[in-house]
Amino acid sequence: MEFKTSDSRYEIEPNRDGSSFVHDGIIVHAGGEIWLEIDGRKHKATATKVGDVWWVHVLGHTLQYEIIEAGATGSNEDNGLTAPMPGKILDVLVSQGQSVSQGDALMVMEAMKMEHKIIANCDGVVESIHFNTGDQVQQGAELLSIVENE
Amino acid sequence: MLKRTLVANRGEIACRILRACSEAGIEGVAIHAENDSGTMFTELADIAIQLEGEGLAETYLNQKQILDIAIENGCDSIHPGFGFLSERADFAQAVMDAGLIWIGPSPDAITKMGDKMTARITMKEAGVPVIPGEEIDGGLEEVLAIAPSVGYPLLLKATAGGGGKGMRAVHREEDLESEAKGAMREALNAFGDDRIYIERLLTGSRHIEIQVLADNHGRTIHLGERECSVQRRHQKVFEESPSVALDSELRNAMGKAACDAARAVDYVGAGTVEFLVTPKGEFFFLEMNTRIQVEHPVTEMVTGVDLVREQLRIAGGKPMSCGDLNMRGHAIEVRLYAEDPANNFLPSIGPLKRFIAPTGPGVRLDTGVREGDSVTPDYDPMLAKLIVWAPSRIEALQRMSRALDEFVVLGCTTNIRFLRELCDHPDVIDGWTTTDMIERLWPDGWSPDMPSIVNNAGLLIAAACESTNHGRILASSGNESLRPSTFETISRRFP
Repeated sequence: MEFKTSDSRYEIEPNRDGSSFVHDGIIVHAGGEIWLEIDGRKHKATATKVGDVWWVHVLGHTLQYEIIEAGATGSNEDNGLTAPMPGKILDVLVSQGQSVSQGDALMVMEAMKMEHKIIANCDGVVESIHFNTGDQVQQGAELLSIVENE
Repeated sequence: MLKRTLVANRGEIACRILRACSEAGIEGVAIHAENDSGTMFTELADIAIQLEGEGLAETYLNQKQILDIAIENGCDSIHPGFGFLSERADFAQAVMDAGLIWIGPSPDAITKMGDKMTARITMKEAGVPVIPGEEIDGGLEEVLAIAPSVGYPLLLKATAGGGGKGMRAVHREEDLESEAKGAMREALNAFGDDRIYIERLLTGSRHIEIQVLADNHGRTIHLGERECSVQRRHQKVFEESPSVALDSELRNAMGKAACDAARAVDYVGAGTVEFLVTPKGEFFFLEMNTRIQVEHPVTEMVTGVDLVREQLRIAGGKPMSCGDLNMRGHAIEVRLYAEDPANNFLPSIGPLKRFIAPTGPGVRLDTGVREGDSVTPDYDPMLAKLIVWAPSRIEALQRMSRALDEFVVLGCTTNIRFLRELCDHPDVIDGWTTTDMIERLWPDGWSPDMPSIVNNAGLLIAAACESTNHGRILASSGNESLRPSTFETISRRFP
């Protein structure tokens, strides 16, 4: 079974005995309520699935694991110029073909009445701009692309 | 005596006020935008009226529509909560002109304190110390001209502002123009007024505020301080009372200054006077919030005074009910935000598939949401406030840690873990909280301190749940055939 988090991929094939699962010295009982057992100590856990993501609360932490279906391919790594939140484009500060330096502000967007700047992550040239001032964007949408200087 | 109050707000604070109304025997009327239909505060009201229109300007900021609803529904008073119309003197005046009671200070007091320039001048005249700075009466050119005389680092603030909107710290002259433009634009969007002012940024200072209460019978008192130094993006996340930085001498001096500030504008009702306290123990007036404040519960917990009940009582013309105050123990509040602290605290959205609040001794949750609700990008990301009380500060921190560990929110990313780590941080334990501490402690951003055993456990739980289709039966419990028969559960309900 394969899972993805915001920064890693994991493969896990736990040993199953009924509704109990064992891996690396940790035991999870998943019949009805979820109990974690480490070194003979029990801890209550809570989990729920939203879309393909398992949200898990355990030991005071909240974690997310996205299940990767067998045969599915991972998405390409984006270059950081994506919307970090859903919201509205307030201002486009650059134009196509413009040279930019790392750290330059490229766009200003707004969500929940707060402004957020999209910053160039490298020195390069603006290749394309995908949104205009006033557009609504979804989280993760690619806002613009930059061709990095060699 | 009030009989029917319209609550011109939403979410958590609307719930708080509607509950106070219910306890006081006052009928509560909620107003809500269409996208707030069926949310918690609409259910706590005796009457819930849907606002026409979309967006804040047409709904929660629509003075005429709200006032018309109040009149049509026989309300005798309006409680504005915080944010939205709470500090709009023109709305307070319109409410009073319509013959209704405004649960708050006079429009004149709101105007004098709400306009930061007027407030500075009024406070100077009343002998209350103010921060060195400059008021700007003009546009961008004036900002650029005045900034050098104030010096860097400096702070740009919306004149009509609050809540961190339109506020920018500027550390270098070359950033001034773009930051000023941004601050003015944000101020215009949030408050309909793009005026800003400049003041010196006092780093390493504490943000400490004094709660005041004044009635129409000549009494103005202070209810001690709240320490609100832990902030991110100039919004508070962690508040406590009392403050470790105040001894009784400084507390008395600040309390007296706060009461002087309130009296200077003939203040009535609950209000908060904010001060910056420097490491040397000097204090400067920042602003007065002429409304109930987000963090009012910490004062309620240590003084035993129900501030919202007092607001209702005072608005009804009665004297405040509290006598001599006796501060007990220590209270801490943390704000539960729908945001991702590991992604620069940016707002997050999602369904609250699970929302299990902590309980137990000394724990209070003021929430506007519950399990099954969805967090949307339409409104402020603050979902709830978790407040604890304990006999001492260290016990309050331990209680908060325990409560945060119990708090389960699944489906929407929150700042719970960040708050939990704050409680463990030596600077917080020692009380070395300053307004710049989050940037100071996590200059490259925060990420959770997660032992590998937690990740291993989480991964195994996800695998176990995926294998057993955990929760699938529950999710389809609308299907009659899957529900356990009453006879199977009767012994559990009546042991």
